[in-house]
Parts: sequence; structure tokens; C-alpha cells
Amino acid sequence: MRMICANCGYVYDPEAGDPLGAVPPGVAFEALPEGWVCPLCYAGKEAFDPLD
Amino acid sequence: MKPSLSSLYQSVELRQEIPPLLVGERTNANGSKLFRERLLADDFQGCLQIGLAQEANGAQVLDLCAAYAGRDELADMTTLVSLFARSVKVPLMIDSTTPEVIEACLKLYPGRCIVNSINLEDGGQTARRVCALLKKYGAAVVALTISEKGMAMRAEEKIAIAQRIHDIAVGEFGLRPGDLLFDALTFTVGAGDENLRDAAVQTLEAIRGIKSALPGVGTILGLSNISFGLSPASRKVLNSVFLHEAVAAGLDAAIVDAGKVIPLARIDEKDRAFCLDLLYDRRSETVPDPLLAFIEHFKSATSAAADAAPAGNAFAGAEQAVFAQVVEGNKEGVEDNLAMLLERLTPLAIINQILVPAMRHVGELFGRGELLLPFVLQSAEVMKKAVSWLEPLMEKGADTQQTRVLLATVQGDVHDIGKNLVDIILSNNGYKVYNIGIKIPAETVIEQARALKADVIGLSGLLVKSAMIMRDSMAQYREAGLTQPILLGGAALTPRFVAESCAPEYPGPVVYCQDAFAGLKAVRAFEEGRLTSTVWSASGVAAVKPGARDVEIVRDNPVPAVPFLGVRYVEAIDPAQVFPFVNKQALFRGRWGYRRAKLLAEEYETLIRETVEPAYEGLMRRAVEEGLLSPKVAYGYFRCWSEGDALLVEDGGVTRRFDFPRQAEAPHLCIADYFKSAEEGGDVAGFFVVSVGEVIGREAQALYAANRYHDYLMLHGFGVEVTDGLAEYWHAAMRREMGIAGCEPQDQAGLVTQAYQGSRFGFGYPACPDLEAHRPVFAMLRPERIGVTLTENMLMVPEQTTSAIIAHHPQAKYFAV
Repeated sequence: MRMICANCGYVYDPEAGDPLGAVPPGVAFEALPEGWVCPLCYAGKEAFDPLD
Repeated sequence: MKPSLSSLYQSVELRQEIPPLLVGERTNANGSKLFRERLLADDFQGCLQIGLAQEANGAQVLDLCAAYAGRDELADMTTLVSLFARSVKVPLMIDSTTPEVIEACLKLYPGRCIVNSINLEDGGQTARRVCALLKKYGAAVVALTISEKGMAMRAEEKIAIAQRIHDIAVGEFGLRPGDLLFDALTFTVGAGDENLRDAAVQTLEAIRGIKSALPGVGTILGLSNISFGLSPASRKVLNSVFLHEAVAAGLDAAIVDAGKVIPLARIDEKDRAFCLDLLYDRRSETVPDPLLAFIEHFKSATSAAADAAPAGNAFAGAEQAVFAQVVEGNKEGVEDNLAMLLERLTPLAIINQILVPAMRHVGELFGRGELLLPFVLQSAEVMKKAVSWLEPLMEKGADTQQTRVLLATVQGDVHDIGKNLVDIILSNNGYKVYNIGIKIPAETVIEQARALKADVIGLSGLLVKSAMIMRDSMAQYREAGLTQPILLGGAALTPRFVAESCAPEYPGPVVYCQDAFAGLKAVRAFEEGRLTSTVWSASGVAAVKPGARDVEIVRDNPVPAVPFLGVRYVEAIDPAQVFPFVNKQALFRGRWGYRRAKLLAEEYETLIRETVEPAYEGLMRRAVEEGLLSPKVAYGYFRCWSEGDALLVEDGGVTRRFDFPRQAEAPHLCIADYFKSAEEGGDVAGFFVVSVGEVIGREAQALYAANRYHDYLMLHGFGVEVTDGLAEYWHAAMRREMGIAGCEPQDQAGLVTQAYQGSRFGFGYPACPDLEAHRPVFAMLRPERIGVTLTENMLMVPEQTTSAIIAHHPQAKYFAV
């Protein structure tokens, strides 16, 4: 499931991963480390909301 | 003693002063599809939610049934009963016909519940086993008028079976008549079955007959059967009318969907007449078939009552009504319900026993992601209204035991939405809050904490600099001798920063609070003597900072031709041009708190479509019509060159210096890197200050002062995001002017991910947190002309203003130092 940052609108798409955070494609949001932050606004995982 | 039921938390009399006792029916695997699906998915928490919703809608008892083919009823019921017993305030009705399950639940339940049900289908063998259990564990029971011959249809049969069950329960086992609730069963009048034409009449007669033949017993009815086969909207009305008739016949309790009972007063006279004709099977020359007339009427009529909001509390006591009003955020008529409560309770008791628990429940719903922030604020408004109404009636000094909380936005920061939300939540949960304002120096906090005898101090601030100020003032608070807990909140704070940089400098607990409810939790923990400083375990996963590798910044990118050097002002911007640049996701989910959380995708879509978008459109319209927004821009282009971490800007013969910080960790970025040095031939930089004016901020403050919390949040968030939209809009205009708009994003998502050339870096934000940079920016742009001034702490006024430096370098993107 794609997740959206409620603070800035960045979308984490597991199919794309997060190149800025060195997260390879295929990593589910739940599987991201606890310390992972939004690559654009640096909000924590708890700021993310399900997109679809 | 009056026959009653009880949970861990409260007791409920079986005979309500205003009948009927409402038994919520949705926690039943056979009656509710949603409940069944959650049960089949082992989603017991989800099952509990349905129960809590019934409770919030006014249910005074919850019928709990997990009997479903293929499931282990014993295991499911024991799990659910333990869960419900802890979390639901109202007592339970154990809905099972299996003695083993009933006994396990009776053993487990920490109160006095009622069993649903016994009957004489097998001649009384099972009924006797259950009666023995009822006697042993002390429980009430529902008895159905079913015998060896099946379900009784005629009133006299129903009464006869009730008599037999009474003889067993009271005569053989010594149960109290008052603990028996007879269900005279009803059948649908909606199927057109000739044998059932008078089903309602037979049931009503049976209720009267049972009550007169068996003194002291009660009656109960599963209401919804009466309308089986009819349209949902008409069922709601018919069920409600039938309930009223049954109560008039002596009904004591009803098993209903508590949210769907419509008070009689809300039912249209005409609707009611069609219902009564159907229920009493009144045939006449003009109406030969009341069923057809009923169906015809409800096909065409858009019944107002059927669409009305749930009002299950109309029959329930005023206590439940007030509780439900707070939870639902419904202010209307709360005074009337409070006035009714005052006959039995003191104002303080109403606050402590009903209002505060209701807000606590609201907080729990929010914590579980089941209630969104805007709705929480509506609940707080009801609370505020109720307390304001009660306050003049309270004895003076009755509330001296309140915990006192001092709130302030720290020195140099004007942002107060966060602090004000904490104020709203704490003060409407019964705490005494002293909100001493914005830009408060540490000295004032110390002085006021002493003067007001604050038990807890809460400090807030949005800016990166505010986090530094919080850290630096800890020692000052320690030296001043303060020891009370300090709660810290703000966008730039992290639990780690609070634990490692703030807590060690202060003797009392220093606690990171993510949001207003975390603040509430902390204050409660303080009261219970178990509040401790935020800790950060080194074993936890370290934050993964984006782009953790050094990058080479290209040095030979072309310098764009700028249309002019110096400053220009744009003062006639139509807000309608700005709206398309508003980040609606950030506004809806972030600023307003309409997060999807636990909603299904379709439910969230409906919420957005029916509630959020209309609110946004309404605000856009209002903003234009009432002149709430006057977007203005001061901007310019300047020759510049970098020198290490500094950028030197040529401003009409004066050189302005910007010292930018560099990331301590890889990739070691610094804004100055995106500009060429003098040796590389120099560069150009853009700057802007944009503002939507002061009116919207003033308007928001007025809403806050008027306790219109929900509207305050909405307008404030709107102002913040329109300001940001204005910055996006102007940044795009400058890209066009510089001729670097070749690859512009086509949608909002592209703006978010900076799918354009270059970047804008806001002063006071993560890439350049130091607000001192505003000094040269103001010297260059002189935005006083568009109404923007600087405070002594380098903050811009009005609040809905933002500033930035624009870098055109293709590699320039957001980062944080």
C-alpha cells in the first residue's frame, strides 16, 4: 500500500522504494526501519497515512 | 432492591424511569454483517469498536452474540466478554443458548449481566440448566415465548408460555420475577403474509397480558423483526413508531440499533399515520390495504425523520444523552439535558462523572485513530459550552483540586496553533490552564510558574530555533529552582532531542509530546505520580537520513538570464490564482487532521467528498467574498557569489552576507554550494517574501477567542497552506522569468517532490534555520511596503508570511542541517 506524508504530501510507494533514503524498491512501508523519515520534510513514520 | 445490571463501571436498572432500556443489537454475529466479518477475521478489537459505537449512540446494555457456524463459540465469547468487560462501560447481555458458553461468560464477567435467552423448545430441559446457572451466578435472563410447538404467534399462546417459564424460573429455582424479561416475539408486518397481518397487535396484546398475569416481571422485544422486508428508510420509521406503541403497552426494554431509533417527536405526522395503520392492520374503504399504502407512501416520501441523525439518546436518560452529545460533537440542546441532570447531580458531579469521562472517551477514540481532529474539536466545543453553562451554578472554590498547567510559546516564536490545541484539550478535560501567550522569554515562564503555582509547564514552538531555545533554557529553569514537569511540543522536536539534549539539564521530568493528546496523557501520568522524562534507547534504530552519501555539485551549469536586478512588488494577486497551488493533502491530512487512519479507502473518499472538500470550497469562497486574503509579494534577483559556506549578495553597491550552515553528516550539503564562486564567474540568486496579509490571522484568533475551536483549526490551517501555495505560485513565476521552467510539474504531487529545476529554501526552516538571515533579506527586499515587518527576534509579522532564497541549480533540493 502507498503511504502519504500528512505533513507535506510526499508519497511512499513500495514499488519505488525511497532512493534518497537508500531504501530499495520492494520494501513495504511497515518494513521500513523505525527511524525512517520522510525524505522531503523529515517527518517520522507516524506522520504517514494510507493513500489507497 | 430494584433489579439492575452492572459492569465494572456502572449499574443500570432494568426498569428505566423513562422506558425502554435500550439494548444495542449490532454486536451480534447473526444480526450484523460487519460484526460477523470482523469476528471471522479474528478482529476482536474491531468487534469492540462496534460495541463502543453502540454505547456512544445511547445503548445502555450491549447484546453480545458470537454464535456462528464454523466458529468456536466458547472461545470467541470468552475472548469478547473479557475484552468488552474492560472497555465498555455499559453491562453486557450474554446472547447464547448453550449452557457451557453461558456459564463460562457468567464466571468471567465482573458484574451482573443478563442472559439471552431461555425458552421451552425442548420442554424446559435446557431452560432448567440455565436457570440453575442464573441462580448460582446471580444474573437476569431474557425468556422467549417458544415452546415445543415452536414460536407462539397468538397472544394467548405467548402468555401461556411465559406463565410456564415463570413457574420454572421463579417457582423451581427461586429467581426474582424482576430479573425475568419476557420477549413476546414479533413477526414482520411487511411481507404481506395474511397470517401475519395482525402480528403487531398480537405482540402488543401479549405484552399487556404478560405484565398483568405475572406481576413484577419485565418485557423486552427485538424490534427490527416487525419491519423485515421493507425498505431501510421506512423500516427506521416503522420500528420507531412500533417501539413507541410497545412502550405504551408496557414494554420495558428493546433490542435495537441504538443509533437508529428516531424520537417520536421527530417523526412526521403523516409518516406516523401510515405506520399505525399498518401496525394495527386498519383497513377502510379509502385504504383497503395498509401495507400497500405504507409502501407507496414511503416510496415517494423523502421522510425527514428517516434521514435524520441518530438520536438514540431520546429515550435514554439525560446522562447518556449528554455523554453522547460530547462524543458526537453535537451542541444542540445540551443545556436542556444538563438542566435535567441538575435535578439529581451537582454541577461538579456532572462535570466529573459525565463530561470528563465523555472527553476521555473522545481522547481514546482519537488515540485509536477512530475520531479525527476536527471532530475532537467539535466535542471540545460541546464540553466548553456545557461547562460554561454549569460554572455559574457551582459553589465557589469547589474546584481547588484542579491540576494547574502553564502554557507558552517560547521566545522568538509566534506560532500558537499547537499550544492553543493543547489548551483546548487540557482545559476541556478538566484542567486549569494558564495560556500566557507567544514569544515568552524563559524569565517570564519562571516568574509565571511561581506566581500561578503551576503544577506542570508546557512549552511550544514550531521553528528549529525554538527547539534550540527549549534546550538552552533548561539550565535556566533548573537554576531558578523549578522542579515541576516540563512538557515540550513542536514540529522541530524529536523524542531523541528531548531525551538527550533537554532532559539531562533539568531535575524534573522533561517529556516530549507529539500532539495535544500526548500532553493530556502526560498530565494524567503526572497526577498518578508516574510521569517520567522521555527516554531514547540507543538500541533503537537510528534515523535514516536521506541521501547519506556525498554528492558532487556540478560547477558548470549555466547561469540563467534574469529579467531585472533589484526588487519588485506585486500587490494585486487574485487569490483564485493561488488556490491551485495549495497542497490539499498537507491541508486536509496534516493541518486539518482529516487522516484516513482506520477508515476504508471508500469511507475516506466519502469523507473527503462530502465533508472536507465542501469545507475547503466554502473557505475559498469566503476568503474571496470577505477579503480574508490579500496575497502580496516582494521579490528580486541579485548577483552573488559563494565563498565557502557563505553567499555574498550584491545589492546596489552594498554586499550582503549570508552564512549558511553545512550538514554535519554526509552528504554535507550547504545552500552556498548551489551558487558559483567569484572564480567560477559568479551567479544569480532570487529572494522573496510573500504574505496573505493579516486579516485571516485576526479572524482565526477571533474564532479561537469565541471558543469556536473547529472553525479556528480550519481557518488557521487554510491560511497556512494558502501562504505556502502563494510561495509555490511565486516560485513558479520566478522559474518562468529565469527561463528554467522547461520541465514544470503537471500536478500537486510534482510540486511536493520538486519535479522542477532548482529549489526554494525557507528561512527558519531545516536547510537554514537561522532567522538572522532575515536582516539582510529585509534590507534588500524592504517588504514593509507589502505590510510585512520583523520582530526583534527576526520573525515576520503577520504570521501568514513566508520567505525564501531561490536557487536555480538543477541539483538544489530540500535538505535539513
